[in-house]
Amino acid sequence: MSDNAVSLPSAPGNIKPDRKKYRETFFGGIYTTNPVTVQVLGICIFLAVTIRVQNSIVMGLALIVVLTGTNLFVSMLRAYIPRRIRMIVEVAIIATFVIILDQLLRAFYWDMSKQLGPYVALIITNCIVMGRAEAFAIQNPPLISMVDGAANGIGYLWILVAVALVRELIGSGTILGFTILSTSWYTKNILFLLAPGAFITGGLLIWVINAINLSLKKEKAK
Amino acid sequence: MKNSVHVIVFAGILAVVCSILLYAVTQFTEPFRKMNEETDKDRNFLSALGVPIGKNVRPKELLGIFDKNIKVRKLGKITIYEYIPETSASGKPVAVAVPFSGAGFWAPIKGVLAFEPDLLTIRGIRFYQQEETPGLGGEIASKWFQNEFKGKKIVSNTGEAGFKIVKSGEAAGVNAVDAITGATRTSERVQIMLNRVAKELYKERKNYVR
Amino acid sequence: MNTTSVLAIFIASIFTNNILLASFLGLCSFIVVSNRIETAISLGIAVTFVMVFTSAINYIVYYYILIPFKLDFLSYVVFIAVIAAFVQFLEMFIERFSPALYYSLGIFLPLITVNCAIFGAVLFMVIRKYDFIQSVGFGFGSGLGWALAIVLMAGLRKKMGYSKIPEALKGPGIILIVTGVIAMTFIGFTGMLSTQ
Repeated sequence: MSDNAVSLPSAPGNIKPDRKKYRETFFGGIYTTNPVTVQVLGICIFLAVTIRVQNSIVMGLALIVVLTGTNLFVSMLRAYIPRRIRMIVEVAIIATFVIILDQLLRAFYWDMSKQLGPYVALIITNCIVMGRAEAFAIQNPPLISMVDGAANGIGYLWILVAVALVRELIGSGTILGFTILSTSWYTKNILFLLAPGAFITGGLLIWVINAINLSLKKEKAK
Repeated sequence: MKNSVHVIVFAGILAVVCSILLYAVTQFTEPFRKMNEETDKDRNFLSALGVPIGKNVRPKELLGIFDKNIKVRKLGKITIYEYIPETSASGKPVAVAVPFSGAGFWAPIKGVLAFEPDLLTIRGIRFYQQEETPGLGGEIASKWFQNEFKGKKIVSNTGEAGFKIVKSGEAAGVNAVDAITGATRTSERVQIMLNRVAKELYKERKNYVR
Repeated sequence: MNTTSVLAIFIASIFTNNILLASFLGLCSFIVVSNRIETAISLGIAVTFVMVFTSAINYIVYYYILIPFKLDFLSYVVFIAVIAAFVQFLEMFIERFSPALYYSLGIFLPLITVNCAIFGAVLFMVIRKYDFIQSVGFGFGSGLGWALAIVLMAGLRKKMGYSKIPEALKGPGIILIVTGVIAMTFIGFTGMLSTQ
């Protein structure tokens, strides 16, 4: 299979990554190049599930599993994947993972799978998964690709939970189903459960994080 | 040429591996999924009737409880589910459930309404199939909305059969509950369903022998 | 069986339950491509076209092939494959018969394969148990709704080019917030369907 060398995207994949690279990859996914706030990927599911904290946690965990898994497999197969059909191969691997996950949820976590509805299947077209496979796993060794996948998953999870906390608290007066703001004096702001609330909360969150990053950058420049 | 052979071989192997994997997982989860799908309805019937079931009861046990405690029979055109506790000596039903369904905003809504043996007082209600907007119409599946129904009647104070879902905070009378704020359409449709059940059941009520 | 009339589904999927503004689908390409009105219109047309046909094809494939042969565990993969194949086919077709159209539209076609709105529309069609006519109506309405949203956004972004926006809010932040406001105005259409 000598001609496969041609289909290898680039050389750096064959250099052994050092500890610094691992650290950068890990924190990159979680914060500095966070898939949601910095790259603005995967917001379809993001806005839909943040209606409740519990849904967000399950979706975040699901995404960690799918991201780590696909990154591992894409990375292991990276020397053999023909360049021409690389996108289709990635989609096939992602879809396999997602379907398995969907089936397991339906078998063992029925209530949640009922609530998440089509959004579990929509992980297949979530740009984050495809994006990480395409941008990272296809040119890096398996272990660090897994780290990258998990880090991006965690990065997605914490943003999900942050937005869900705001939306569930203001919209339903509860957190994780426990009443925090009693309805005796608090009028639920339904707007936050509706689509506009999702868009606006998401936009404000990106604003806050960008503002923090900008001021940090200015500080450094001084 | 060599390259396209490689492409075909790779795609073939990938397709076969993925299909086998998926097939295996589907086969493995099938009994559980089937059980969940089938027991979903039963679980909601039991829960509406107030049959004590454990929180993490396994689907198989649940079917057992359903078989032992629930008697299905016809009352006129309506199918009723009587709850006769297996421990009860008298064999008299302590609650009666009536399923209902109708068009929701997005997809059909299915639910079950449980009554005290007088067939007038509501004991519980569950919506077990709905695709309404989450957070709005979807709230019909939430506890607070379903709890509103407890103790309500399907006849008004003046003795007229029917059920109403009214604007939030204005629920007056024994046969009305508060609607979900912001989900007017779902509330309207649920009212139509319940009203129909109420009227039909009220008609058949005099033929009901315990 | 779903009894809602096709017309109601069609109108609802454009306005009150817009696939982008109410179900959040197709946001990735929405944010990237909404910077110019011309491109927004082209992509909107392409998405609508693909959505109508993939809804129809996937309906037939799902109910006449996958279900009878008990292959529905492969449904997601098949749906994606159908969408990808259709887009590929469309691309070749347009390239051969209308190079001019290909230049204005063709470059966006690969983007459509990964547009979750199209996959999402197919999933909703299956979950809501639409019949064939309803599915096509839903696909058409959702496509038009998506196109309408992206064209509106492109227009607003053109205007926003002249406004002073805080540095940190520029880009996706302000786009999401403006989309939220558009979504709010679309809720206003709810009254349209109250007579059904």
